[in-house]
Amino acid sequence: MDVDSDIPMHDAIESQQQQSSSSYNKESNPPENNKHVSSSSPITNSSPSSDIISNSIKDTVNTSTTHDNTQSNNNNTTSSSSSNINQLEEWIEHLSKCQILSEDDVSRLCKMAVDVLQYEQNVQPVNVPVTICGDVHGQFHDLMELFQIGGPCPDTNYLFMGDYVDRGYYSVETVSFLVCMKVRYPNRITILRGNHESRQITQVYGFYDECLRKYGSANVWKMFTDLFDYFPITALVDNKIFCLHGGLSPMIETIDQVRELNRVQEVPHEGPMCDLLWSDPDDRGGWGISPRGAGFTFGQDISEQFNHTNDLNLIARAHQLVIEGYAWSHQSVVTIFSAPNYCYRCGNQAAIMEVDENLNRQFLQYDPAVRPGEPTVSRKTPDYFL
Amino acid sequence: MSIAMSNPSTATTNTATATPTLPKEDDLYPLALLMDELKHDDIANRVEAMKKVDTIAIALGPERTRDELIPFLTEVAQDDEDEVFAVLAEKLGSFVPYVGGPKYATVLLPPLEILSATEETIVRDKAVDSLNSIAQELSEEQIFHDFVPLIEHLATTEWFSSKVSACGLFKSVIVRVKDDKFRKVLLQLFYNLVLDDTPMVRRAAAKNLPTLIDLLTQNIRLSTEDDWEFISNMFQKIVTDNQDSVKFLAVDVLISILKFFNTKKDYTHLPDLLHSAIQLITDEAWRVRYMAADRFIQLATEFVEQPQLLQQFSQPFLSLCEDNESDVRKAIAKQVPGYSKLISKSDKTIVLEKIFPAIQTLSMDENETVRTSLASEITNMAELLSKQECIDHLIPILLNMLKDECPDVTLNIISNLEVVNNVVGIDILSENLLPAITDLAIDVNWRVRMAIIKNIPLLAKQLSVQFFQERLSNLCLSWLWDSVYSIRDAAVENLTKLTEIFGSDWARDEIISRLLKSKSQLLENFVYRITLLHALTGLVPVVDYEVVIDKILPFVNHLSQDPVPNIRFNVAKSYAMIVERLDKDKYKDLIDNTIIPKLQELTEDQDPDVKFFADKSLKKVKKLME
Repeated sequence: MDVDSDIPMHDAIESQQQQSSSSYNKESNPPENNKHVSSSSPITNSSPSSDIISNSIKDTVNTSTTHDNTQSNNNNTTSSSSSNINQLEEWIEHLSKCQILSEDDVSRLCKMAVDVLQYEQNVQPVNVPVTICGDVHGQFHDLMELFQIGGPCPDTNYLFMGDYVDRGYYSVETVSFLVCMKVRYPNRITILRGNHESRQITQVYGFYDECLRKYGSANVWKMFTDLFDYFPITALVDNKIFCLHGGLSPMIETIDQVRELNRVQEVPHEGPMCDLLWSDPDDRGGWGISPRGAGFTFGQDISEQFNHTNDLNLIARAHQLVIEGYAWSHQSVVTIFSAPNYCYRCGNQAAIMEVDENLNRQFLQYDPAVRPGEPTVSRKTPDYFL
Repeated sequence: MSIAMSNPSTATTNTATATPTLPKEDDLYPLALLMDELKHDDIANRVEAMKKVDTIAIALGPERTRDELIPFLTEVAQDDEDEVFAVLAEKLGSFVPYVGGPKYATVLLPPLEILSATEETIVRDKAVDSLNSIAQELSEEQIFHDFVPLIEHLATTEWFSSKVSACGLFKSVIVRVKDDKFRKVLLQLFYNLVLDDTPMVRRAAAKNLPTLIDLLTQNIRLSTEDDWEFISNMFQKIVTDNQDSVKFLAVDVLISILKFFNTKKDYTHLPDLLHSAIQLITDEAWRVRYMAADRFIQLATEFVEQPQLLQQFSQPFLSLCEDNESDVRKAIAKQVPGYSKLISKSDKTIVLEKIFPAIQTLSMDENETVRTSLASEITNMAELLSKQECIDHLIPILLNMLKDECPDVTLNIISNLEVVNNVVGIDILSENLLPAITDLAIDVNWRVRMAIIKNIPLLAKQLSVQFFQERLSNLCLSWLWDSVYSIRDAAVENLTKLTEIFGSDWARDEIISRLLKSKSQLLENFVYRITLLHALTGLVPVVDYEVVIDKILPFVNHLSQDPVPNIRFNVAKSYAMIVERLDKDKYKDLIDNTIIPKLQELTEDQDPDVKFFADKSLKKVKKLME
């Protein structure tokens, strides 16, 4: 199907939601965030906010170096410590019933997760076989459905390409669960960063408010958004499939250039790291201005050149709603979207892509999870306007 | 708890620090602070504080709770938001111990009376629940002096919300009043509510009336002729209400009335009540007919003692089966076997001559929910019939329904075939059963495929091994290669269950050897290998030792060198299952010389997950060998 037609749909929802939510969350100072999504001009002006951002980068970098010092010696023990494993398995069991962890447990979990994630690379190498998944957006029950379709972790290896939070009603449970799995089985699951794994975006699209509602304070939001800074931004499956949330950047020609970025920071408003999380493929050739106000659009010529330069078969990315759950563009770029009936009303299917050890690909499509109380066998089309 | 972030990195964290935090769950907060929280500007804080109001009560002790807290809460109950009211209304229901026991329980009534009058339904419902639970603890005296006046007060206010609440409170007092005269006053009061101008009040009254009648039935000797005069008038009022939404509640009232007289063995009113029942069944409002159809068996059951009256239900029953509204047909379709059972005791011909044609029509209804509903119950008809009658009347319908285009219909039939099997055996159905199963087995909706797999063991019990072998075993194996994990998992479990039914030899010859012959091409795919491993491991507990050792173990050993770590740690898990199954003495050598060394090898694996599961299995194996 034509990916181009999906962009306006995705955007229509973003801007529409944003209007209602920005008027609703008066206390969460969203004005400057709006620029990120809706304004059509790329953000190049140096507003006071960008100073603050750059300060924050320094801060986070500082904290990460202190982490390095304190954690490096116990890193070897984390994977084998059986009390940690028991603790994690207890949390996973708890979370899989869609129950939140306590604030103290989230704090412990995030500390453990930093220990794992900070050693991952900007371009995290991933082995085959692996199942590659797109946006989840807080639709916890649909994430559980995903595991029903693709098989449970750790028996199946997973690579998630970002956007775990916002929009759905269970962002906290979703991100807690995935982070728990990551810490428990670091070699079996890879979680990349999406454009929604950011302080600014989560204040507008729901994660901040959800934390406030479920924990009574923003502490848990703070812990998770601080953790998001450590998430790897891209992955390379068997040196052949380049996986990332958004798309390519005019400032990145080789994968090695991604390796040189300093990723441990809030997602910037511009520059290569921003583009990797925000860009979209387009039918027009060359680079284009993105209607999202961040990142770029890139044409077939760009993706072909990039794949050729880096000896790749395929770029797998998420970031855009596609009605059938996956969609091809440029022959060698595939969009995967794993939130069925997105926002509980879009009526789309979700999909995941299984890649076997010979790099054969199979797409599995699925519908929203059956909600409790509904009959288990039904062919009725979902009610998009609940 | 520190809310000031040590590292306020971005502007956005300001919002975080500005948000006041709440006390941790179990912290016992200083009392004054909690009282302050109850007056906090932010409603979320007041709600949280109200949730801890019992903590305050315990801290204050009964006397100060009565003298200070309750008056304060009464004030709150008049001036706050619904969210706070809802919590307060619920909390007060369990407050009796905190005010010093039942003796003082009546101090709780004033705030709850205020809450019972609020416009928000959630608050009112909670207040009424709390009042009813408090009433359980009150003495006769308190009921008389405090609770009944409260009901009177609520029932006679201007505003509908109080009256609606009042309707829900009568059940706490009606049978506790032994004085006939006084009960008459209460019924008069309730009668006024039934007559109320507002439909909301009439609806609440009609909804609560069956409960009151049931209470009188439980205390059969309590009520007088006068009481029944009232109840009869109330029923007449409800049954003739001009609002459908009130009238359809009359069905439940009627059932309760019937139960009362049947308990009393007073059958004089039955003809009149039958007339009312038929009136409701043939009402022009479809909601009323729907309710009557939905409760049809309950209604008819009350006439079982009087076969000549019961028979008069048949015509109305058949007309419901042909109702214009699909929802009515859907409701009555579920009642068909139940009603047939009642009527067949006295008149079996009507079942065969009248009801079966109606079933025939329903089974071809244009609406698939009607057919689905019929399919969920229809097989129970078999119990009422002889083998020949079954073959002549029921089987043709079932055969047709098995061909239904809607998977839910077919599935419902297949899931409930056991009863039919008991009467005629399902061999007779098998020719049609198979195409139905094959269709469902490849349905695009994986949950439909799942549902059919779950039914396979049940069918297997009813079919001969030979038939199963010829027609279904390929299907069972094919599910192992489904693209959806859950189907593959169910297929593995299915094979285990089938082996329990057909035995170890069958599994060895028909399942295991066929699985082991899988094409090497297939086995290049990780998903196939892990599924095969799961399938064989799943069979370990249900096949003989020889099969485990000769067939399954070599395959598991073979996979222990697999390039994919996920396979290797599942191999480690399988070893533990195998050792658990084997006779530890007889196979000691094998375990010591083959399995344990293999596991030890895996504990040295490069992959931490393989190591972990190998360690775990090795510990388990060593423990089993002790």
